[in-house]
Amino acid sequence: MDDSAGEAATSSSLQDDLTFSDTLVALQIMRAQFPHIDKVSVQPFILKSQLYSSVKDRTQVDRELESLRRDKVLRLFKLNTGQDDHAIMFLDDYIKQIDQVFKRMEVKKEVEYEVFGWFKNYVLDSKLETGIEHEELCSLLSLGGKVKDSHISILINAGVIIRQLIDPNMYWFAIPNIGTLLKGLAQGRNELISLLSRRRYKEMMLATLEKKRLRMSPLDMRFHLRDLIGSGHLRTDHTPSGLIIRVSKD
Amino acid sequence: MHTWKQIRDREFGNLRPHRFSNRIKSRRLSDLQLSNHKDFLSPHKGALNSLQVDLTEGRYLLSAAADASVAVFDVQRPTEHEAGGLISKHRCLFVVDKQHQLAHKYAVSSAVWYPVDTGLFITGSFDHHINVWDTNTTQVVVNFKMPGKVYRTAMSPLATSHMLVAAATEDVQVRLCDVASGAFAHTLSGHRDGVMSVEWSTSSEWVLMTGGCDGAIRFWDIRRAGCFLVLDQSRTQLGRRPSVLKRSTVNKESNFKSSSAGQTTSAKLRVAQKKLPNGNGSRQVVVGRAPAKGPIKQRLHPGMLSTQDRATAHYGAVTGLKVTDDGSDSRLRLWDIESGCDTLVNFETVRLQTNKPIQLATSQDSTRVFVPCMRTVKAFDMWSGSTSATFRGHYECVNSCWFNEQDQELYTGGSDRQILVWSPPRLISDEMEEGIAEDQDSWSN
Repeated sequence: MDDSAGEAATSSSLQDDLTFSDTLVALQIMRAQFPHIDKVSVQPFILKSQLYSSVKDRTQVDRELESLRRDKVLRLFKLNTGQDDHAIMFLDDYIKQIDQVFKRMEVKKEVEYEVFGWFKNYVLDSKLETGIEHEELCSLLSLGGKVKDSHISILINAGVIIRQLIDPNMYWFAIPNIGTLLKGLAQGRNELISLLSRRRYKEMMLATLEKKRLRMSPLDMRFHLRDLIGSGHLRTDHTPSGLIIRVSKD
Repeated sequence: MHTWKQIRDREFGNLRPHRFSNRIKSRRLSDLQLSNHKDFLSPHKGALNSLQVDLTEGRYLLSAAADASVAVFDVQRPTEHEAGGLISKHRCLFVVDKQHQLAHKYAVSSAVWYPVDTGLFITGSFDHHINVWDTNTTQVVVNFKMPGKVYRTAMSPLATSHMLVAAATEDVQVRLCDVASGAFAHTLSGHRDGVMSVEWSTSSEWVLMTGGCDGAIRFWDIRRAGCFLVLDQSRTQLGRRPSVLKRSTVNKESNFKSSSAGQTTSAKLRVAQKKLPNGNGSRQVVVGRAPAKGPIKQRLHPGMLSTQDRATAHYGAVTGLKVTDDGSDSRLRLWDIESGCDTLVNFETVRLQTNKPIQLATSQDSTRVFVPCMRTVKAFDMWSGSTSATFRGHYECVNSCWFNEQDQELYTGGSDRQILVWSPPRLISDEMEEGIAEDQDSWSN
């Protein structure tokens, strides 16, 4: 996998590696291809729609994701960019991300930061879904020690847990420090769609398209292309001169 | 040629008659296209909301529209022929519209036949009323007033001991109305928002399934007070459960052993259960608190817009939508009713209509599910989720579809006021070139 990481960084054509045979292979290669962003340091994550565009059979993707999730290899997170978005992150990367956030938070009272350890050990281990109830969270955290409200607010401030808008008793698990990227994701999507929609025939060859840079998004073109193809907004067609990307109409 | 060979195999006993008919049916099913020999002349002046062919004979099509009109068509006998007898036109046998004294005042959202015979039909409308009509005299026999707009009504096709109409309204309670006495039987509470779809189980006359705008799908036993199962999105299973019986690949439920006599999937086989609600939710809900007697209740996310039943297989198929805060994303999900788990089959739908109930259809042997997606109807393979066909023909959103198993025809109704028929193509040229065909065959006689 180390070799392919090096190769993937230099491979230029998306056309060649648009599809993979296996979900885990696809996840690992896309993780290696995650764009390097200067200002924010986020561990690589993959969107579920990117996975759909990379592996042909979506049902197989769902099932393999489910078994990987149950084996605690990766975790799923629900994103708030609307439209049923989910992000997939390998568990090791997630733990690294939490540790990064923890180190960066100002240490006011040493005692209360133990909640991160409890979170990693007890909550992440047993609760594999995307959301959690308040009571369950408290009961799992209390396996480590006495839980106070201030512990929960530390978790919320760190961005590891997010309160659900609909139900005040439920929380989503979240990836901390991901806010700018999500904003970039939404804006980049819009920019790419409008770029194609402005053209006369609403299509462009993949080879030309992937060389363009998006102004509004720190994520690269390949990331957005995979995401939009997987969610159905764009479609690919084979032509004698290569793949062509079109805006799909319902 | 292929057909002749199969007929010969059947004659010699190499091919069982049942398998022969299934093969023919599935080949016809894969050839569905806009019918070139059948047409319905729709008298409606508003968007079509529901379609149903009666369950007893499969002959009469009942359609309900947004202009408060309800019409009945004869599916098998056309009223007139055109183009030299090649195209059959079906006009409605009668239509009940606003001119009728007792008709509904606002849109009729659902019209269903009385399951036992076609003497009665039940309509539910946005004017908060449910009417039970006598078909022959076109008069309202019983009338129920609901507290809110009626989204869907349903009667159990298996019921022998009760005549209850289940009504899904914008009120949070599901009401059961008794046709025999004209009174309300009881109400089922548990949903947190309006209930958009309701469907009776095809395996038990006491089990009802409802889906609400809050994203929950609940199963109720009407003899008890609470619901006994809420489908939870986070409970999943990978694929089908292994079949209980070796002989038939279709039957999977364990409480279905008594009538599982192999593969005799005749039209009378009621054991099949299939439900495919397709949903759209607007909010997410945690269900949570277990009532005193019932088990259950985890959270449940998927929402439901409409449910659809029918099929010979005994697995639960419910499609749900994931709710999000700002919009609604439409997803189709297949649930196993016995285990209550999401089978994780991914149907590639991009967008589904989200503000109205839509009606899905399934083929009898449960291999195909027909889903209205905006202006097209897509046929998906049930277990793999791949799109097998897309039917484009309506000018506006498609609201409902119904699959007629006897003739392998799909009827779809949309907001463009049309009822379109999709059927396997009939070769029109054969009748005109009969002379040539005879010559071709004469050497092989």
